[in-house]
Amino acid sequence: METWTPNPRAKPFIPRQQRSWYLTWKYRLTQRRSLRRFCQAGAVLFLFVTVVVNIKLILDTRRVADEDAADQEYEDVVPNMETPRRPASGRKVLDIEVYSSRSKVYVAVDGTTVLEDDVREQGRGVHVIVLNQATGHVMAKRIFDTYSPHEDEAMILFLNMVTRGRILIFTVKDEGTFHLKDAAKNLLKSLGSQAALGLSWRDMWTLVVKKGGQVYGEKHSKSPALSTWGDPVLLKTEVQLTAAEEAECHWADTELNRRRKLFCSKVEGYGSICSCKDPAPIEFNPDPLPSNNVFNVPVAVIAGNRPNYLYRMLRSLLSAHGVNPQVITVFIDGYYEEPMDVVELFGLKGVQHTPISIKNARVSQHYKASLTATFNLHPDAGFAVVLEEDLDISVDFFSFLSQTIHLLDQDDSLYCISAWNDQGYEHTAEDPALLYRVESMPGLGWVLKKSIYKDELEPKWPTPEKLWDWDMWMRMPEQRKGRECIIPDVSRSYHFGIIGLNMNGYFHEVYFKKHKFNTIPNVQLRNVESLRKDAYEAEIQKLLREAELLDHSRNPCEDSFVPDTDGKTYIMFIKMETELDTSTWTELAKCLHVWDLDVRGYHRGLWRLFRKRNHILVIAVPISPYSVKKPAALVPIHLEPPPKEEGAPVEQL
Amino acid sequence: MPRVNRTFVFVLLLASSCAFLLFQLYYYRNYVSKEPGLHLLDPAGHVMSSQVQWQNLKKFLALAQFFRLPLFLADSAALALLSQDALRQRDRAMHEPHCSFLCAGRPITSFALPASQWQLSPGFLLAAEQKGFQLLEVRGRDPRLASLDTLSGEEIPLHFLFRLHGYIIHVVLLYERSGGYLWHGALRLKATADPTFAPFRLLDYGRHAGAYDRPELLLTVVDGLDVRVPRNISRFLVQRQEARFLECRYHDARSFLQLYPDDSSAAAVEFRRKAKVLLRLAAQTLGRLDIPFWISSGTCLGWYRQCGVISYSRDVDIGIFISDFRPQITTAFRDAGMSLKHQFGQVEDSLELSFLGEDVKLDIFFFYRDGDVVWNGGTQAKSGRKFKYVFPSFSLCWAELLEVKVRVPCETLDYVMANYGGTWSVPVKSWDWKSSPSNVIENGVWPVAEWAGLIQVY
Repeated sequence: METWTPNPRAKPFIPRQQRSWYLTWKYRLTQRRSLRRFCQAGAVLFLFVTVVVNIKLILDTRRVADEDAADQEYEDVVPNMETPRRPASGRKVLDIEVYSSRSKVYVAVDGTTVLEDDVREQGRGVHVIVLNQATGHVMAKRIFDTYSPHEDEAMILFLNMVTRGRILIFTVKDEGTFHLKDAAKNLLKSLGSQAALGLSWRDMWTLVVKKGGQVYGEKHSKSPALSTWGDPVLLKTEVQLTAAEEAECHWADTELNRRRKLFCSKVEGYGSICSCKDPAPIEFNPDPLPSNNVFNVPVAVIAGNRPNYLYRMLRSLLSAHGVNPQVITVFIDGYYEEPMDVVELFGLKGVQHTPISIKNARVSQHYKASLTATFNLHPDAGFAVVLEEDLDISVDFFSFLSQTIHLLDQDDSLYCISAWNDQGYEHTAEDPALLYRVESMPGLGWVLKKSIYKDELEPKWPTPEKLWDWDMWMRMPEQRKGRECIIPDVSRSYHFGIIGLNMNGYFHEVYFKKHKFNTIPNVQLRNVESLRKDAYEAEIQKLLREAELLDHSRNPCEDSFVPDTDGKTYIMFIKMETELDTSTWTELAKCLHVWDLDVRGYHRGLWRLFRKRNHILVIAVPISPYSVKKPAALVPIHLEPPPKEEGAPVEQL
Repeated sequence: MPRVNRTFVFVLLLASSCAFLLFQLYYYRNYVSKEPGLHLLDPAGHVMSSQVQWQNLKKFLALAQFFRLPLFLADSAALALLSQDALRQRDRAMHEPHCSFLCAGRPITSFALPASQWQLSPGFLLAAEQKGFQLLEVRGRDPRLASLDTLSGEEIPLHFLFRLHGYIIHVVLLYERSGGYLWHGALRLKATADPTFAPFRLLDYGRHAGAYDRPELLLTVVDGLDVRVPRNISRFLVQRQEARFLECRYHDARSFLQLYPDDSSAAAVEFRRKAKVLLRLAAQTLGRLDIPFWISSGTCLGWYRQCGVISYSRDVDIGIFISDFRPQITTAFRDAGMSLKHQFGQVEDSLELSFLGEDVKLDIFFFYRDGDVVWNGGTQAKSGRKFKYVFPSFSLCWAELLEVKVRVPCETLDYVMANYGGTWSVPVKSWDWKSSPSNVIENGVWPVAEWAGLIQVY
């Protein structure tokens, strides 16, 4: 056996070396003595290696443990605050309760009240709640006061924007049918409502439905007589949740779409942003400006809880030529989720502010915190652009600022640059390239100089207990110190907000709806250097010299007061004995349909505006230094307010 | 039979030790081999590893260049080597790329990045991850919003750690602050983060927040790689040594101000404005002379207690170690438009200078070390009486007051307590500097004959 040789023919396909090893081992193992010896040696060897490795291991793990201990101090002490999520395998059915009555409505989802309104004289109309069909989260809450006109149109618009498959909950408080027209009723019917067409005066009604799907429940109680309401109705129903995948769209997996997906899973009512097939863009890539002097000027957007406004505002802002999204910060007053969702949708930076005080003082404190934070966040910036959430921003907003911002730096007689002309209405503004100096502070999209804020305004900003408007305060002589603002003839912002602290639909219709708004890109501003203090006086003198005197015997409120010419400059004189003698200007402003609530938009007693494409200079005699241009014999126009009783004073903006 | 038993025991032993060994090797690989720089089983690994580290850096810097990130080298070890022998570096740069500076025997290389340049980060981070880097992003509260207790923004990125093949590249973000300096945050891991991601103890930055002057940068070639470095490396390294930054206690300050609202009268507003101008002027003047100073007494209390100045304190107080005294101080302040109001004591004892600027007094107290305490002196002009104020010894940190970067004692509470006692948090309007401080000691009287030199009032 010792001389055994392999037989090559027996296993020809096994490699030679392997086979011989195998056989050698087999042979050796059959020898009991060598096996024993081998085992002994092997065991000893392995034991030895084990011991060595063990010691090494102990040393190393101790060292690592030491480092771990040293690193402990790096660990955040704040415990993980995230609450455990409800297990996905939990309930798949939502219990929904909806109540409708004259004085109270409420909606409860799985025992949680998501809507409760029992405040008197408030919340009249149809309340609509949108739930996510996969999670049951509230995605939108709206009230449509369909007792009043046009609200049903807003409701149609909203319902059409809601994605198919969402769960809609309707309930009526007080009265919701007076101006609920057939179009809206038909839409409700098409959603699956049985009672919609029969809804009438002071009926109570609730409906839970899946958009484009089944009706989960509907209750309706008719009002027995004109003077009484229908009996309260309480609808209890169950809604089967669907799988998360069905509630989502399948957009390409990009950074943008990830933001979009997150947004669309949380909120509703933003139209085609969440459309599966053809979603509206959330990145705009407007043209850059050839030479942008305001690229690094921080932009502060002051916002409250009006997410739809904020959405519209940010869209226009991010579409303006030369915008730099990196320097935009949205300051939200209050810890509202939805405005923050909008901010994140656009990939911008959002900061939330804990509300302090009430009403105007709350706004004022929010402004202060936002301005301070803006200059903290951008220590190198010499200016800040201040915007509000209810403004449309003109496409050439940054171009306008880029061409003028150096004046704010070089001319100490300037207080701000504003995109807003208080007197710039459709019929009184003409020239997008024209700029004015005015003594009032228009706000509504403006540039603030850091040194003015830091050295003058911030230290004495009104404290929370003072219920002042920040802008009224800024206009006070103690703050303005005779300085002026530069404004364009045609505004570079548009105030679209209808709901707001000092705002309502009527007020907006009268004073803001007809405001002129520039839509022309890259307007080259004319004679920017002539806006400096002294140059501007020379410019005015030139205008006064070439201006033709209007016929002061005519009634200035009549159309024929200004001749039907084109491109001419006219001059008129009105009576204004003192700063407080505003009656003539106010009456004139009323018949011109410009801002008449207080005296705004003048420069040393001179207003400049357009009528019938002619430039009109209105000079207040005798307080304006330009009164010297008045022919001695001419009697300035004097208008008295009509003697009729004034209505309730309209709140000032 | 016993023989069979013995064999059986051996086999059993063999099998179990085999299993045990395998388990340990597996465990060892998992737990220890992740630690960089450990090449237990490969003693010749060092040369290899520095090659790996160099490759990492090359890859990373190329990526940063592609995304136009103006990173600069902030690694203390690498910069120290660079500053030691700039000449040798030039020689070596000629040779093949060899990681003698950037690797420096450490598994970590630190870079800094101005945060304003940190634009559209996802692109860079995604690209780095695609290149194989593992990423740890450390975020924290935005200190620029913290001064306004009512604001809360998103957390901002403070540190990035990129790990590849066991080597770490640490990128610390430098934020521009209102006081005209750069700030980086402390590195604090969240509970969910992996505490073994990197040897955090070895990091150059992150133990504390830090404040730096904006360094001038220089593009150079180090170990065959294009790297930006601070132009004045040694200055940067000195700054790094004493960069620790203390954020003001804004939250406590707010509670204090709710209890004792700030005076908002025109006079108080005016004083705060003047104090700010004066403090900035002092910081500039002493900065030019390279003399470190800290805010002391009432000014320090104002910072610590209310993150501002105490409007009724009527002066600005700063401290300087007597070892940093330079006779040029007086002329420098005069050149800055301030007038010397009085000078008490001498360099050897109780020196005190007072300047007047913007009609607010700037008091400069010189501090003397004495064993484990430090003290400064006071002198009553009319009587020549001397006083001594004793403080526990302290180190200096950076802080921001009135948008000026100033130093404060790091052990601020001890310092304030020594001066104002346990009731420092209660405002006291009638303050007598000779008796009110809790650390004041009577220190004799100046000899009348020397008054002319020791008590100079202008």
